[in-house]
Amino acid sequence: MSEKKLNLLVPGLVLFTLVFVFYYPRFLISQFGLENPWTNYLYMYGFGGYFFSLGLLLITKTKSCVFGRGRDTKWFVILCGGFLWLLTMHAVWIYLALSIPFKGGVS
Amino acid sequence: MEFDGVDLSQRAVVIVGVVCLAYVLIVRAFGSYFARFNNNINDFFFSGQRFSWWLPAASMVATGIGSYSFLKYSQQGYNTGMSSTINYMNDWFAIPFFVFGWLPIIYFSRIKSVPEYFERRFNSFARYISLVIILAYMFFYIGYNFYTIGIAMEGLFGIPQLYSVPILGLFIGVYVTFGGQTAVIFTDLFQGVMLYLAGFLAIFAGIYALGGFSEWWGWLPETHRLPFTHLTENPKFNTAGLFWGEALAGSIAFGFMNQGFLMRYLTIKSVDEGRKAAFFNVLITLPVSAIIVGAIGWIAKALMTKQAALGALPGYDLIEINNTFHTFLVVCWATVKQNAWVFGFIISALMAALMSTIDTLINACAAVGIYDLYKPLVNKKASDAHYLKAARWASVITTITGILLVIWFNTQKGSLMSIHYKGIMIIIPSVVTTIFLGAFWRSFTSLAACISMLTGSLITILTVWYPEMIDGLAWFVSGPKNDQYIYMRALYGMLITGVVGVFVTFLQKWFTPDAFADNREKVKGLTIDTLDVAMTNYKGGKPNHTIGKNVTDLTVKIDSRMKAGVVALSKNNLDQLKAEDKDMVYITDSRWFLGGLRSNHVKVTQKDDVNDSQIKMAEETFKSAYFLKDKLVSVEKIF
Repeated sequence: MSEKKLNLLVPGLVLFTLVFVFYYPRFLISQFGLENPWTNYLYMYGFGGYFFSLGLLLITKTKSCVFGRGRDTKWFVILCGGFLWLLTMHAVWIYLALSIPFKGGVS
Repeated sequence: MEFDGVDLSQRAVVIVGVVCLAYVLIVRAFGSYFARFNNNINDFFFSGQRFSWWLPAASMVATGIGSYSFLKYSQQGYNTGMSSTINYMNDWFAIPFFVFGWLPIIYFSRIKSVPEYFERRFNSFARYISLVIILAYMFFYIGYNFYTIGIAMEGLFGIPQLYSVPILGLFIGVYVTFGGQTAVIFTDLFQGVMLYLAGFLAIFAGIYALGGFSEWWGWLPETHRLPFTHLTENPKFNTAGLFWGEALAGSIAFGFMNQGFLMRYLTIKSVDEGRKAAFFNVLITLPVSAIIVGAIGWIAKALMTKQAALGALPGYDLIEINNTFHTFLVVCWATVKQNAWVFGFIISALMAALMSTIDTLINACAAVGIYDLYKPLVNKKASDAHYLKAARWASVITTITGILLVIWFNTQKGSLMSIHYKGIMIIIPSVVTTIFLGAFWRSFTSLAACISMLTGSLITILTVWYPEMIDGLAWFVSGPKNDQYIYMRALYGMLITGVVGVFVTFLQKWFTPDAFADNREKVKGLTIDTLDVAMTNYKGGKPNHTIGKNVTDLTVKIDSRMKAGVVALSKNNLDQLKAEDKDMVYITDSRWFLGGLRSNHVKVTQKDDVNDSQIKMAEETFKSAYFLKDKLVSVEKIF
């Protein structure tokens, strides 16, 4: 990536990050409420996913991960697959926690 | 002898004690056997970078679970439920930075310790700032492990910490001192199996007592079933704080600056295998470990709820948890129906957890002591035998220091979780940020690293007395605002360090552009965008990334005319490997279960007088790989 493009990308990303970090949780809380378990889930995976995506962007732009070189493509797919697996697993977990009745009467 | 719900008779104390002692002696003997695989200082600390991925990965199971884990996470599991797993299951966000950034950088640069990276990437001053912080981090863990097992032993057997901690320290210190990293890896492998067995046994007994899995889930309150805790409610355990402090700062610290874990990765035969170990660790080991250490707390909660509704469970005494710190011990003792042999086996798991974590940390502290203090400052040019002896003394000193720290931990107040994270979240932010900027931003300068680390550390410490400094940041990220910042403190420290680092770097760029440009050249091979240089330096030639097929079951022919560190293969075998002359290959005993214990990295060449079932090498190469006569050898191309 050229120096000029990088000089635009980095400040742009910093600005976007600040805006995202400020507004995203406020949006979640206004939509779902503080007590909703999905708010926590979306907070964790929203910010986590953003940070994870920055990692993917960094490793590809710096050519630390080059598609087609050695086993890099395989590792990249595993990286994305692992994220999706954890994202899905936690969603199913919350669904089961909320959908199966509690025997003690009051939760 | 009664201990908050664990009523041990004299006979039971003796049985539990005998089982634990037998366990410690077995591990001690097992570890001592591997002392023979230490020829030099590299073997002692890094086992010669020879192992298959699964061996260090499996041994990391035990390393990741400390004696505090069972007690701390059971307590947390009882209090807040399955959200106790969060600390073990939020590491994936940082994994791209590790597997494609930090791991190849340290591996290909042949970095021995994080402070050494700081010296090469920045300067000596940065090295010693980081050294102080990293030692504080590791000693904190060692002392904390000793402290938690000490109070458990005191409660169970009535042995004062004054005696139990030094005795345990002596046993662990001996096998680490003589066995080195190979002993640590193999004993941790054994102890990992032990931990899982005992953990699953305890879980099975608990679920059985409740009447089955559906009964457990049914009696577990909804709040305790959820994987994430409330976003901000609990000042000491909340999702917002856990994300910023634990998922980011904590995960990066554990992967990037925990010398013990880094050394495990550096024992692996290649970066590709290191990636396998990392993926296995985060996707399999950590989630399973989260269940092992926390499940007794979740079971305890369901037990209490069921008891409250229906009275004591049929066939079991009424279970009372007066002090949640003892949840693990109380519930295990009750659900195994006071069987001292089974309980002794479970308590041995606590010992296994302690020993496996502390041995790694002792070995890691000793490595830092030798590579970052003794070698550069005391004795620069000495024989390997001398450094090996010094390494053993460093292990002894580390063990004693860790034991002495127990005195300090006894003066601390609060839950086990809060004592742990209060300390860690103060120590890590500045180093974590500096490693991150150093590895991923080539322009980051040495001056900026030193100033930002010092400023970041100082301001993070100041927030202990002036927590209101964090209010603005906590508000910005919608985190808890309650003056009891634990996790937010780490984010604050990282932010201050980062801002100062970036600011000083740009100042240098504007005022001393030539020095700035020189710095960018100097650090080639030590940053993510210059990994090609690191790979070329590591191999001593241009890397060959073409993937071939391993050549297996070759007979060794010794040839005294060959150079050490070079092996010869037939043309067909070279073609199968997709290797070219002077490519780096890994030669290993063909028996997979050795995990690379008998192996080495060498250069390959082609010779016409070698047939397809042979490999030719010098006697010295044969010995350096610890090969045995008449045993077959396999070859894998590295690059």
